Amino acid sequence: MKRHLKIAFLYFKVNLASAMEYRSSFLMQAFGMALSNATFVFFWWIAFSQVGGKIGGYDFQDVMFIWALCSSAFGLSSILFANVNHLTRLIVSGELDTFLLQPCNVLLSVCCARTSLSAYGDLLYGIVLLALTQGGNGAAWIFFALAVPVGAALITAVALTAHTLTFLLGDASIAGSMGLEFIINFCIYPEGIYQKFIRGLMYSVIPAAFIVHIPLRLARNFSLSWLVIWLLASALYCGFAVWFFYRGLRKYESGNLIITRL
Amino acid sequence: MNKMKKYRIIARIHVQNAFVYRANVISGLLFYTLFIFVFFNLWRAIYEGGSVSGYTHGQVVWYLIITELVVFGCRTRIVTQINEDVKTGAIAYLLNRPVHYIAYQAAAAAGQIAANLFFFGLLAAALGFLFVGPIPDFQWAGVPCMLLSGALGVALQFASMTAIGLTAFRLEDNSAVYLIFHKLVFMLGVFLPVEFLPGWLQGIAKALPFSYVAWGPAKLFVGFSWSLFLQIVPMQMLWLSVMTGLSLLMYRSGMRNLQMNGG
Repeated sequence: MKRHLKIAFLYFKVNLASAMEYRSSFLMQAFGMALSNATFVFFWWIAFSQVGGKIGGYDFQDVMFIWALCSSAFGLSSILFANVNHLTRLIVSGELDTFLLQPCNVLLSVCCARTSLSAYGDLLYGIVLLALTQGGNGAAWIFFALAVPVGAALITAVALTAHTLTFLLGDASIAGSMGLEFIINFCIYPEGIYQKFIRGLMYSVIPAAFIVHIPLRLARNFSLSWLVIWLLASALYCGFAVWFFYRGLRKYESGNLIITRL
Repeated sequence: MNKMKKYRIIARIHVQNAFVYRANVISGLLFYTLFIFVFFNLWRAIYEGGSVSGYTHGQVVWYLIITELVVFGCRTRIVTQINEDVKTGAIAYLLNRPVHYIAYQAAAAAGQIAANLFFFGLLAAALGFLFVGPIPDFQWAGVPCMLLSGALGVALQFASMTAIGLTAFRLEDNSAVYLIFHKLVFMLGVFLPVEFLPGWLQGIAKALPFSYVAWGPAKLFVGFSWSLFLQIVPMQMLWLSVMTGLSLLMYRSGMRNLQMNGG
């Protein structure tokens, strides 16, 4: 475990150093992403000023909490594990061979091999938004800090599961991109706007509830049983994604492609 | 006549391209459906209290379907393409062809947009009827005016994207300009009708070009009136002329300063 963490940290360091080589591009992308996210605050400000009170059971502060959490969790996932979204291309083109030959954990090596520059903007935006809208609310900060890594792991697990389908069905890039779109869209709107069937999906196949909605519930009204359910279900989902990847990997056929990774 | 024929062929090739890349089309259609579904649910929750700023629930869902149809319909590679052509120097190879560079891009975009509007138009109509049924008090007599406004909105978006792409002659990284334009179009008309904005902001929004890309056509579609038509369409024409003129000026200026090295 310690060795794996060390490899992940080394990947992070190298990726960050590589990003900082193109400093202006890095800052532009990070700033651009933060600006892009900020337009949604405008949307919600207008929506709540038209309606007043609550929308789907959430007030303005609740919506800002799930937005902040989703943004930071997505940012952390893309900073550490951006390459998971390229898994389909690696499998289809045969570039996965390079990772299979390395003397470390295949999944960790695949996921950590790339970072996203704009993701730093997402991570920072979530923290700034939380500071601006929740102020000194200790419970909000505690559950935000806990839920960001859990959410990042779940978002990565969703993308991993969707892209792993490529081993079984062929090019699953649409499933990969749609998996991410579904998870983000179900995370950034109040849970209460959906009917029972969709909420069922949010607690199972598309675990948006475990990324933002349950942490919000815990921050507003703590319950030990929900805390345990949240952590167990998240671990189970991530465990399934890892198991599914290694099952799928057995189906991988090398194309003997010779490439160089610099 | 012959001059137009070559551009028609370019447009036709891009229509064919759009039909060939089925995976792109499918993922776009799925994303459009997801987006409309999420906002349908959101507006249903918001409308529990009745009508908002004169729009009924049915009208606001159709409004969003139309604004998103314009946005998805306008999805072309124009900014990226001009950026690449200018930065890589590929524009040098395009200039000695018997076509005007901007007209070539316009024909290519027209082909792509026609295909987009075909795919997304069918889906938009199906989703609208599925979620909220027909538009309440729809004015059939106003359909030609709505289509004209829609075409002007799409043309305005194209002219603006061309101008943004051509900033590559001056700026090393013009992604911020694109992002700001894109977000202003979204904030001032795509997600929310302009009537939902605070009074002071409505005046500003109606004086700027951003709202005339999506708000104008969608507003006419869900609540057509001749006075509204006379308010929106002249502004669309004005901003389209400004953006087209700006694009051509930037192109000429860029061409004057363009330096080519053989190789």
